Amino acid sequence: MYSLLPFYFTRISDYEVLINEVGDYVAVPKGTVERIVSKKLNRDEDIYKTLHANFFISDQLLHPAFEILVERLAEKKHFLDLHTSLHIFVLTLRCNQNCEYCQASSMGIGSTQVSMSKDTMRRSVELMFKSKSPYLTMEFQGGEPSLEYDILKYGIETAEEMNIKEHRDLNYVLCTNCFDLSDNIINLCKKYNILISTSLDGPEFLHNKNRGRADSHKRVCSGITKMRKVLGNDRVSALMTTSVESLKYPTEIVNEYVSKGFKSIFIRSLNPYGFATKNIDWDIYTDRFIEFYKNALDYIIKLNTKGIYLREDFAFIILKKILTSTNTGFVDLQSPAGMVNSVLVYNYDGKVYCSDESRMLAEMNDFTFCLGSVHNKYEDLVYSKKVTQFAKVWANETLAGCSDCAFKLFCGADPVRNHSTQGDMYGYRPTSLFCKKNKSIIEYIFKLLITRKEEVMPIFKRWFL
Amino acid sequence: MRQRPINIESNDNTLFTTSRCNNRCIMCCQPPTTNNDIEYLFEENLQRIHCAPKDIKLIGITGGEPTLLGEKLVLLIEEIRLCLPNTNILLLTNGRKLSKESYTKTIAKAGGEHLFVDVELHSDYSVDHDYIAGHNGAYRETLLGLYNLAINDVEIELRIIICKQNYRRLLNIAEFIHKNLPFVGSVIFMGMEYIGYVITNSEIVWVEPFCYQKELQEAVVFLSGWGYNVNIYNIPLCLLPNILHPYAKKSISDWKNYFPLDCNNCMLKNDCCGLFSTSLQQFKNLSPFQNKCK
Repeated sequence: MYSLLPFYFTRISDYEVLINEVGDYVAVPKGTVERIVSKKLNRDEDIYKTLHANFFISDQLLHPAFEILVERLAEKKHFLDLHTSLHIFVLTLRCNQNCEYCQASSMGIGSTQVSMSKDTMRRSVELMFKSKSPYLTMEFQGGEPSLEYDILKYGIETAEEMNIKEHRDLNYVLCTNCFDLSDNIINLCKKYNILISTSLDGPEFLHNKNRGRADSHKRVCSGITKMRKVLGNDRVSALMTTSVESLKYPTEIVNEYVSKGFKSIFIRSLNPYGFATKNIDWDIYTDRFIEFYKNALDYIIKLNTKGIYLREDFAFIILKKILTSTNTGFVDLQSPAGMVNSVLVYNYDGKVYCSDESRMLAEMNDFTFCLGSVHNKYEDLVYSKKVTQFAKVWANETLAGCSDCAFKLFCGADPVRNHSTQGDMYGYRPTSLFCKKNKSIIEYIFKLLITRKEEVMPIFKRWFL
Repeated sequence: MRQRPINIESNDNTLFTTSRCNNRCIMCCQPPTTNNDIEYLFEENLQRIHCAPKDIKLIGITGGEPTLLGEKLVLLIEEIRLCLPNTNILLLTNGRKLSKESYTKTIAKAGGEHLFVDVELHSDYSVDHDYIAGHNGAYRETLLGLYNLAINDVEIELRIIICKQNYRRLLNIAEFIHKNLPFVGSVIFMGMEYIGYVITNSEIVWVEPFCYQKELQEAVVFLSGWGYNVNIYNIPLCLLPNILHPYAKKSISDWKNYFPLDCNNCMLKNDCCGLFSTSLQQFKNLSPFQNKCK
């Protein structure tokens, strides 16, 4: 007789999909779960062997390789050992664009008192080095951070100087719309090998509508071309945001990325922060986004089948969690959540937040996720009573509606989102749109893996190489 | 058994350390004995190391089960490292003794960067692995040994000897490797030699390569697609689907390698591993590649 190890299951198409404690799956015919649980499996069956080899059942009190399961679970949670590695510096709220869905509540280019001081920057960099992480990424955001050359340069130089003693693996990301990048900025990017993360929403008509400027697309594209020449193709990446208007154009958006020479695209939904919250019915938007996502992914698969390489990065992150034993380092789908554990945000005004979304909420006058000021001690910021409260709800292993979800290992907890959309950090999964969206997409990816295996697997595997 | 002198021209320079083994693999080509041979073979091997040409590329350590030497194996590896600093060392083991981490650590330290350890894995399912290895609990110890090697940054090659008891699960084994042993550098699928226990256990272990072409292809393509270095040993090209030809290596040691007369008509003879002269029965369905077929 065998005993059961912890596993989860769900029904997809005509299959029962069983998922073990470390995210490995086995797709089996309907009725198998019933047979497993009522101990009707026979030792000579192939499925018995497969389930045993994959840690679903054990024919001994302890599975003969249970240390491997332990080791693999530790690997999946390894990001916790690394401590906070992503440090976001909001240099300014000033911006030279006027995007209709701006999540960062940016302000006009002439605004004053909305940029980071040198004192704040120095203190922020000091706090960053308090993290024990061997890898530190400084991500510069805004507004439009390239408008603040002096403070950007000061931040990098301060970090470089401190790193002489610290010896961390230090990386830089500049989130910019690529408009009018000055020679100073370009030289800085070259000198410190800064990764450019820009925004491209799709073809010209769509991008310009989203971004509220008739010349936005043209300027982004020429910025991309210019920066690729200076830094190399792989040092310029682009993100797209799916506005309500974008929902009509999945293929056009994908085609735009192909024609601009990108090897990957990240199909991103709008988040309910900043200007975006106004005038949108989020229930309708979420349903439409899920359909949009599936259409776009299908189209991307079709292109890959024809030999055009393009990777969809959200699917790639999920696939990495399903198909490999490594950890992704993607802070938005993490349990315990990315907030504090993997991300800290230093705002232009000297406030410290526990995630990018937290500071977006603050711009809407909700300071729930403000940890304090850059002048506080590191320990008082990250080990505060406030963070202790977050910690009670930041692991989906402990949340009702998540803890028994088949997809919990591929998803994450998001107390900030729960708070902003449902009024409490714990959240309520049956009406959570974050849950609905992630569950639908993960389920769709499983459906592809199971029902279109021969077609999609070679493509997905290429994305990993 | 008399050991051949180490020869720079040979593709097989091996230190035979003992004929004892702590497994009783049902398809063992070189059945173990209970001889007290460890001491004298150890002394003999030290001499052979001292006499070996300095620029020899690779030296193998085999048995039986070399880890039965215990600390003497560490000394042997240290001696190779000392006398032949640039020679790669290839240790063939069932990995069970490596389940003790402190031992694995000393082996790893002695071998340094040029140490490769080849470990046999017989199945993803513990009961099948133990049955093939002829020892209850072998699966567990071998897997722990593999993890200890990985923790100590030792380059690992996995060997899967294809037999009647595991060929149906080659893809499952490949998937198991990818999920649970992703740190292995390469995976080697091996055909059997018709000798030793293979003869005595022929009924339960022997399977002709042409019978498992599909299973082998699925497993090799799976692992290769994930970027693992995959090799096929001891199976002639004419018994492999074309798609697997690039993975097939000329794996048979020169001193026991031969080609039947028919192979002279084969245009792929020079790329083929050929056959074991030591096998008492040859594979079925051998057929030379004629000019036109290729």
